[in-house]
Amino acid sequence: MKIASTPKKTVGAALLLLSVASQPILAGSLEQAKRIHDRLAGVPPSEAVLLNMAADIDAGDVESAAYTAMDNSSFYDVTLKNWAAPWTNRDSDPFVALNDYVATLVGMVRDGVDFRELLFGDIIYSASGTSSLPAYSNTSNAHYEALESQGFKLQDVLVQQAQSTVTGLPSEATAGVMTSRAASKSFFIAGTNRAMFRFTLLNHLCNDLEQVHDISRTPDRIRQDVTRSPGGDSRVFLNNCVGCHSGMDPMAQAFAYYNYDFDVDADPDGESGQLVYNQAGDIDDETGTRVQAKYHFNENNFIYGFVTPDDQWENRWRSGINARLGWSSALSGSGAGAKSMGRELAYSDAFAQCQVEKVFSTVCLREPGNAADRAEVDTIKGRFSSEGFQLKQVFADTADYCKGP
Amino acid sequence: MNVINRISLLASIVLLLSACSGGSGSGTVVNADTRVDTDTGIVYTGPAPQTENVQGFKVSVWDNLVPENRCGSCHSVAGGQSPMFVRSDDINEAYQAANTIVDLGDPAQSRMVTKVAGGHNCWLDSNSACGDIITNYIAAWANTAGATANVIVLQAPQLKDVGNSKTFPADSLEFANTIYPVLRTYCVACHIEDSLTAQQPYIASADVDAAYEAAKSRITIDNPDSSRLVSRLRNEFHNCWTNCSANADTMSNAISAFTGTIVANVVDPDLVLSKALRLPDGIIASSGGRVENNIIARYEFKTGEGNTAFDTSGVDPAINLNLIGDVDWLGSWGIRLNGGKAQGSTGSSKKLHDLITLTGEYSLEAWVVPDNVTQDGPARIVSYSGGADIRNFTLGQTLYNYNFLNRSDQTDSNGMPALSSPDADEVLQATLQHVVLTYDPFDGRRVFVNGEDVAGADDTPAGILAGEWDDGFALVLGQETSGEDQWLGTVRLLAIHNRALSGDEVLQNFDAGVGEKFFLLFSVSHLIEMPEAYVVFEVQQFDDYGYLFNSPFFISLDGDATPGSVVMKGLRIGINGREAEVGQSFASLDFTVSDANYSSEGVELSELGTVIALENGADADEFFITFDQLGDNEYVRVEALPPTAQAPADLEEQSDIGLRKFEEINAALSAITGVSSVNPNVAATYEKVRQQLPTVENLGGFLAAHQMAVTQLAVKYCSELVGELSGSDTSARSAFFPNFNFSANVSNAFDTSGRANLIGPLQEKLLLNSGLASQPDANDLALELNNLIDIMQSSCAGSCSAEPDRTLKIAKAICAAATGSAAMLLQ
Repeated sequence: MKIASTPKKTVGAALLLLSVASQPILAGSLEQAKRIHDRLAGVPPSEAVLLNMAADIDAGDVESAAYTAMDNSSFYDVTLKNWAAPWTNRDSDPFVALNDYVATLVGMVRDGVDFRELLFGDIIYSASGTSSLPAYSNTSNAHYEALESQGFKLQDVLVQQAQSTVTGLPSEATAGVMTSRAASKSFFIAGTNRAMFRFTLLNHLCNDLEQVHDISRTPDRIRQDVTRSPGGDSRVFLNNCVGCHSGMDPMAQAFAYYNYDFDVDADPDGESGQLVYNQAGDIDDETGTRVQAKYHFNENNFIYGFVTPDDQWENRWRSGINARLGWSSALSGSGAGAKSMGRELAYSDAFAQCQVEKVFSTVCLREPGNAADRAEVDTIKGRFSSEGFQLKQVFADTADYCKGP
Repeated sequence: MNVINRISLLASIVLLLSACSGGSGSGTVVNADTRVDTDTGIVYTGPAPQTENVQGFKVSVWDNLVPENRCGSCHSVAGGQSPMFVRSDDINEAYQAANTIVDLGDPAQSRMVTKVAGGHNCWLDSNSACGDIITNYIAAWANTAGATANVIVLQAPQLKDVGNSKTFPADSLEFANTIYPVLRTYCVACHIEDSLTAQQPYIASADVDAAYEAAKSRITIDNPDSSRLVSRLRNEFHNCWTNCSANADTMSNAISAFTGTIVANVVDPDLVLSKALRLPDGIIASSGGRVENNIIARYEFKTGEGNTAFDTSGVDPAINLNLIGDVDWLGSWGIRLNGGKAQGSTGSSKKLHDLITLTGEYSLEAWVVPDNVTQDGPARIVSYSGGADIRNFTLGQTLYNYNFLNRSDQTDSNGMPALSSPDADEVLQATLQHVVLTYDPFDGRRVFVNGEDVAGADDTPAGILAGEWDDGFALVLGQETSGEDQWLGTVRLLAIHNRALSGDEVLQNFDAGVGEKFFLLFSVSHLIEMPEAYVVFEVQQFDDYGYLFNSPFFISLDGDATPGSVVMKGLRIGINGREAEVGQSFASLDFTVSDANYSSEGVELSELGTVIALENGADADEFFITFDQLGDNEYVRVEALPPTAQAPADLEEQSDIGLRKFEEINAALSAITGVSSVNPNVAATYEKVRQQLPTVENLGGFLAAHQMAVTQLAVKYCSELVGELSGSDTSARSAFFPNFNFSANVSNAFDTSGRANLIGPLQEKLLLNSGLASQPDANDLALELNNLIDIMQSSCAGSCSAEPDRTLKIAKAICAAATGSAAMLLQ
């Protein structure tokens, strides 16, 4: 096929059109409808949908227009899936296959589940009524990969179930997507389980450890594996390491009974591994308790450090500079296990703020950049918090704000 | 009141010290002493030792000190100087004399040691090194006598209130105006890095900040006249420039001027305070516990200055190490190798060859802190070698692994193959670690880290050293003798034994730790109704920048006292008049000392430890502890509210529109063309170009490569939409382009109506006809597409009419150009 000149010509056309589209335009309801559909569904609308949405906008009902856009299956298959995919791995790679973490998030948004349950609910979504798919497996992601490759619409096939029923994890040990197989494979694999805390903080409270750094917290729960004199210089510990570990280690203690079990020789990437959890009576050979061995590794790095005896967590960031994260006064700030710790995170103001800011970025294609944007984020967050933490509402409100003039 | 009580401490401490007898106390089998007596030329011909203890004294002390270049010229019958502990006429009388000046329970505190360490006829350049050597002799005697201490005597310290203290300013400004000019004038010939006679510490460095850091530990901030910088001149007459007394005054005045600029920290009077202590007020907690029966070279790096690290094993010849290049002393005992090396002479290093080949086995033991986990080569930590490719043994680092190279009749002359800790275990960490390499002709090489055998069995058969080892090599730390393979890190102790330590012995030496430890007894009797009550911490200088406080316990030195019930909450460590800002691991302490949990051995408060930042130096920093509650005394601690977060700065104006991202492009093309995204051909192309498509919406990140990927994908969608000439299913193209004649010849297909029938549906699907001002103008797109048709109608290799599927090719190209354009791509 001799169409060698086509790509070159297409580039030229594209650049021309880019310049046209970048110029200021006067937008009316049609343009607003087009933008809302593009931003929410990720694809252009049909002409009929466009006109329908424009009519809603003309009638002053932008929210209906937004919900019309969110009726498009691409809102789930494209927008939400790719919104969540980077949070399921350490590299923030958006190209990962569909997995139970993403599917659960998509299902929760579709069904209007209180979005905070993302971090503590006994909840999972998998496909139903699709005989061509392999069943959900604790040791494989094949179910979700097939769901994606066979082109099923998540909007239609996802079904909510109790995670404990599907995976066999005790209900009290489930913690939303944190105990999904995908999150376990990424954040409970090897290491010390601190990754699960750090990435949850990063992805769902929009704060990396640098932003919560506070050296004034009591460091008594920092584990033995953290050297107090890196390279022979304790200043590094006292000025840097302690700022994160003093808060992180007592929180990550919530994951003390979890591990991602895989065959490091035959399956070094853990593709066939699974989440394991030490229930009452399960005693780890190395720790002599329910605590996973990884919590006691490298104990000689600082023998006088904290020896994890159980999964009692404590939020040391409720005071000090990290009180700004807005922890819920309805919760105690301590507890046992991932479920209550997930609730501690999800009930914070930072969690709500983070979800709204992430939606803002996805829908508006920019960050909140001025006082008006920040005020709008506050308004949307207020509605999110007061109306049952419905994420679709956040998408709709944000699309309204960024629909253009 | 200065009361002395002899009690046994908490079990852990007793355990620590019960191992002080070189192995005998812990059930380990003590190897015979294989060190070869130095040929002193003195043959003892007097009466035989009356007891085994006398024999132990002779072997461990007398034989070593009897030469005339030690103590023999004076403390003998011929010398006439009492006590005659090295007299040659009767070993039993020498033994009696020695007993008056040694303390077998605490060898370092023996009069014989303190006298020499104080400068009395030391035969080395370093008085402390002489003291350490004699300490080791006495400790060896104590081992044979089974006389080492197994309990620690807690002694009440002198009670001092917490005073207002000064701390060094963070910057060197005042130092530069006061002390620095004196140092730059009178010390610059040697105490500067680039001097021909460079001498640590570099207190006259051209970099004032470096000079300040080096000088801090030589300045006594609360008593300038007792500063090391002054006493070195006044008492030791060290290179005075005119008159030592006057020069010392000059230095003292400069230091006084400096300290006069510092405002003292005022102690908060509301705090619940213990009494105050400095580290030298503590009781030495580390008095031994190491297995050292067969040590032949030992470096504790206590000297702290100068260019020589002394071998204090007492086994002649001493392999004293010359510090060459960038090597710093640590205040906490040790040397930091920053690219320099510490090397012994080949002549003295021959001792290793001679004494190790004699037994055929050895152990290399070191406390090290690798700077990082990225160095390799292996980077030479300790090596006894002749160059980069030839050695007797080497302890090296390769990333996370320790490497053990040993030359025997089973290896090459480079000691290869090496035995290493396993890659996956990442045993080597950039923290203080105890590393022991052992070699014997039965088990071969073993590598122990922090008491554990980490490398497992040696695949290389054990061999013989004698005849293989070269006696012309040198002991070197930090790099190869020839300068390659530098290792960056700290060595805090190095010991070479000519026996292979057993696993238990390695563990015992690991448990003994490194560095000097103290018990600090913080008096709290003034706060509670219990006499002589103390909170006791084990404390040591952790590194050059911090102290380790660990394992606090509560005790009264009055063995009959009982506590009743004492609530203890919120313990914090204070330093120089204020609570340390970081490291308060005991702040959450909540413990009640009661008659039920207290015994005369005390009660443990915590198993934890913490690191507190060093401020003025180990001899100068004054510590105390505070409580939120102790008994009836309370301090109401109110944490200040965090400042209100400031609104972030506004961002620069951002684009209101952007690109579709990879999966949106795929879905958009599917939606526009009606071709399913799971169509196998489309899915294969998408999989191929997916990561080449835009991943962010930002227009500024759009590249030609992105457009190429968009085009490839659009071409594939359009190919599937239009199909082939001979394709059986033409329903898709018929539905999309209902009026375009795909069967027509290229010359006829693209007349005006044909073009409209091809371009029109594309304009419609791209919403160009919907009145959307935000979409491209439909006519602009048509103009570009018509130009493309013109080109493709005429730019064939031969005749375009001769190509039967030319019409379809043009239709696909037009479809791809339209759907792959900004009309689709922008949102």
